[in-house]
Amino acid sequence: MTAEVVVGAPRSLYLHVPFCSRRCPYCDFAIHVGEDQLQERYTKAVLAELSRIATGELELDTVYLGGGTPSRLHPRLLGQLLDAIRAHFAVQPGAEVTVEANPEDVTAELARAWLQAGVNRLSLGVQSLDDRALAWLGRGHDAAQAESAVQVARLAGFENLSCDLIYAVPGQDVGTLERGVRRLMAHGPTHVSCYELTVEQGTPLQRQVRSGRRPAPQVEAFLEQRQMLGEVLGEAGLEMYEVSNYARPGRRSRHNLAYWNGLAYLALGPGAHGFLGAAESAALGLASEGAALRYWHLRDTATYIRDVESGASGWRGHEWLGESDLQMERLACGLRLSHGVRLGSTGQLNRALELAEMGLLVVEGRTARATPRGFEVLDRVTLELVSASTPSGRGQP
Amino acid sequence: MTSSTISRIRNFSIIAHIDHGKSTLADRLLELTGTVSARDMTAQVLDTMDLERERGITIKAQAVRMPYRAQDGHDYELNLIDTPGHVDFAYEVSRALAACEGALLVVDASQGIEAQTLANVYKALELGLEIVPVVNKIDLPQAEPEAVAREIEEVIGIPREQCLMVSARTGAGVDQVLEAIVSALPPPQGEAIAPLRALIFDCKYDAYRGVVVYTRVVDGAIRSGTQIRMMAGQGVFTVDEVGFFRPGMEAVEELGAGEVGYVIASIRNVRDSKVGDTITDAQRPAVSPLPGYRQASPMVWAGLFPIDSDSYQDLKEALERLQLNDAALAFEPETSAALGFGFRCGFLGLLHMEIVQERLEREFNLELITTAPSVAYRVQMRDGTTLEIDNPDQLPDPEHVEWIEEPRVKVELVAPREYLGGLMELCQERRGEFVHLEYQPGDRALLTYDLPLGEIIHDFYDQLKSRSRGYASMDYQLAGYRREQLVKLDILVAGGKIDALSAIVHRQQASNQGRRLVQRLKEVIPRQLFEVALQAAIGGKVIARETVPALRKDVLAKCYGGDITRKRKLLEKQREGKQRMKRVGSVEIPQEAFMAVLSLDR
Repeated sequence: MTAEVVVGAPRSLYLHVPFCSRRCPYCDFAIHVGEDQLQERYTKAVLAELSRIATGELELDTVYLGGGTPSRLHPRLLGQLLDAIRAHFAVQPGAEVTVEANPEDVTAELARAWLQAGVNRLSLGVQSLDDRALAWLGRGHDAAQAESAVQVARLAGFENLSCDLIYAVPGQDVGTLERGVRRLMAHGPTHVSCYELTVEQGTPLQRQVRSGRRPAPQVEAFLEQRQMLGEVLGEAGLEMYEVSNYARPGRRSRHNLAYWNGLAYLALGPGAHGFLGAAESAALGLASEGAALRYWHLRDTATYIRDVESGASGWRGHEWLGESDLQMERLACGLRLSHGVRLGSTGQLNRALELAEMGLLVVEGRTARATPRGFEVLDRVTLELVSASTPSGRGQP
Repeated sequence: MTSSTISRIRNFSIIAHIDHGKSTLADRLLELTGTVSARDMTAQVLDTMDLERERGITIKAQAVRMPYRAQDGHDYELNLIDTPGHVDFAYEVSRALAACEGALLVVDASQGIEAQTLANVYKALELGLEIVPVVNKIDLPQAEPEAVAREIEEVIGIPREQCLMVSARTGAGVDQVLEAIVSALPPPQGEAIAPLRALIFDCKYDAYRGVVVYTRVVDGAIRSGTQIRMMAGQGVFTVDEVGFFRPGMEAVEELGAGEVGYVIASIRNVRDSKVGDTITDAQRPAVSPLPGYRQASPMVWAGLFPIDSDSYQDLKEALERLQLNDAALAFEPETSAALGFGFRCGFLGLLHMEIVQERLEREFNLELITTAPSVAYRVQMRDGTTLEIDNPDQLPDPEHVEWIEEPRVKVELVAPREYLGGLMELCQERRGEFVHLEYQPGDRALLTYDLPLGEIIHDFYDQLKSRSRGYASMDYQLAGYRREQLVKLDILVAGGKIDALSAIVHRQQASNQGRRLVQRLKEVIPRQLFEVALQAAIGGKVIARETVPALRKDVLAKCYGGDITRKRKLLEKQREGKQRMKRVGSVEIPQEAFMAVLSLDR
């Protein structure tokens, strides 16, 4: 038998800031273009939701403002929001407070304002240091702006700095990518997230690929570039700790680790997902129908604002998770981490040993972690282990 | 209608292409004769099974009696017998037609005569039926009734002025059809006082009353209390009830010579009431049975395995239920190393197999893997014994086998002469031997070939249709066994033999077949975490090889707070999909792989 999954009290909070200057063709997030006039009402709505969910003295270790483009939020409003979060929760000393920013928005003045508001980690949407790839991706900045944003942030005092990169962009070869990454690493970011370009359902990019107007990302490019990224980032002292994330020692994203470790987190703002144990759900007035609760907000900003203004939750829906759901999520998320995950049943362990023989996993005791090859096909490896955990009966005539 | 004398009876069937209006015309006839009131008319009274409606084919025959007062002032008894329509059921069709003296040929005035229709007309002509041509849908703007009448004259040889012009939809001309049935079709010939001889043309199982036998009395009479004997089946039963369909069952005192109706006689099993058998009076038996009886035996065999091995018992019960009403369905337990516990089932042909499979899945909610169909071979062993095997995997090691015999069939093809060349070519490709060619009236030719049964079960019929633009019709009968150079083709997946994929093939075709089979399997087996070798082998010697390359990328770039629910739901769905596949060794094989041999292009 497996130990019960412990979700715990939430020690993380995610706030979604939906405003963007443009819709990037590959993006399927909850965002809004050209609705910055909603910023004041949005902020009031979030503050209202905040005071509603802040029940008791919860301690927070991480706060994450994601988007969208949080750097488009007026610094005064951003300050109000962070102040309110500190007023309602016991944000711990040394807590990780991250804001996502687009390079074209970053100025020395703004960076200082963020620091003053209590932000201590910046996640920059660099995406690429190749102008052609940036144009292909439909970004609003060029390579020079990206480099300057990194420099400006560092000079302003952001020591803990993460950069997002997109690779396997059609038309970009591994050499060009490598030169860009090496240039970026010269600026000393402490954390890099590398995502291969993914054609998501319902995005403009998907329509273009389907109609043949744009080439689809290639598996060969993914494999080759992923390997190169691991090597170059490794040389710079960044180690892969999750499928797509690399960090210097001590600079892993504590907030994101909460997701992957199956810990509870609060969420605010349109489209944001939260995850709570049964006790905290009860505190929100929800009668328990499972071991844990996941809830998500209305995606449309105006709708979210109206809903919260009317005194309602701003939620679009929720689901209760049972023990077996939690086990499955814990396995799926845990396998994404370099240190792996503890296996549940003996059936899982046996299947993991088979996968280890194929060079996809390393099994030590009851813990399994993916090999570099295993990470390339991790979702299938996960499926194998998930399927092994259900007993398959053999009927007799 | 017990008063009706034999001269006032007309037994007929309707031959028509799908959508040419057979059902609508039948409905009008029922309405006009007052057999069914317009109010009670549901569309297409005669097709009762959902599956029949969907596929537009009739599987079971139906019979309905209509009373009709003709313009000559006399009362007639009209019996409409509806027939099944596929080569798998060719024998059933021939028996239903044999129960009639005539047929209405219904042709769409805007489409003209279609090939399949012609094939059935040939069959009816062979059995000596009188044909009344009916040009239907004359109310359509694009109707060309005169041209269609001319076509009927040219192709079948019925003078164009004999064509009836009707619209079954509006009812125009339908009264003439009834008159033509009376005036143009001959009454039955039969001896009312001779010993009983009645032809069984179908039967169905009723949960409350046992087997309901559909019959046409040829000589004598049958009434409740009669002790009857099946002349081929030898069973003796006492009649509980006789009657006719209107279209519901209506009991009468007796069915006399020439009449069509049903017999209920506490028969428990449809196997005791074989299509084509002759019913006689056990006390006063006829000297000889009616001609044309053929034992309906399964021609092809395939394994049916539940995907969920826990459903084995459900599958067994479902097969038992279907067998109650399907004399041609046979089954026995089978165990496969790859697929677990299931049943080896015998069918009349592939359509019959598909229908059974579809009904099991639809009516009994079973998920099944069906293996490629095979015929039954005779194996002469070195030790002098003989084996009959219907499962290639049962073929013993070559060292113990003296020789193998394969079943052959006599195939009769009827087609317009211009297609003869293509049809002969097809038969030659399938290792056929020419037997006979005969030119028939009109434009027709009757071509007889001797072919291995195994060569005609897969796609022969489809090929026949495509090479004759649909005009050829086909009938076949088992014609003994012949010693051939046959070998067992084994399929190895990742080095392990998959018993359910073995096939018995002719030595000359083995390497070609093996190559195409592994190519096809490569298309249907999804990529796995490792490279999967697919091999075809004969007696341990590999003759063809393909490789399913390993999966190279399967990982999502992002998995953050909002992605986790989606990820879990996807995993749940994928896990279900995985459970529908069969894991053989470490390889997951989808259902369709086991039927791959059927989708090979020749």
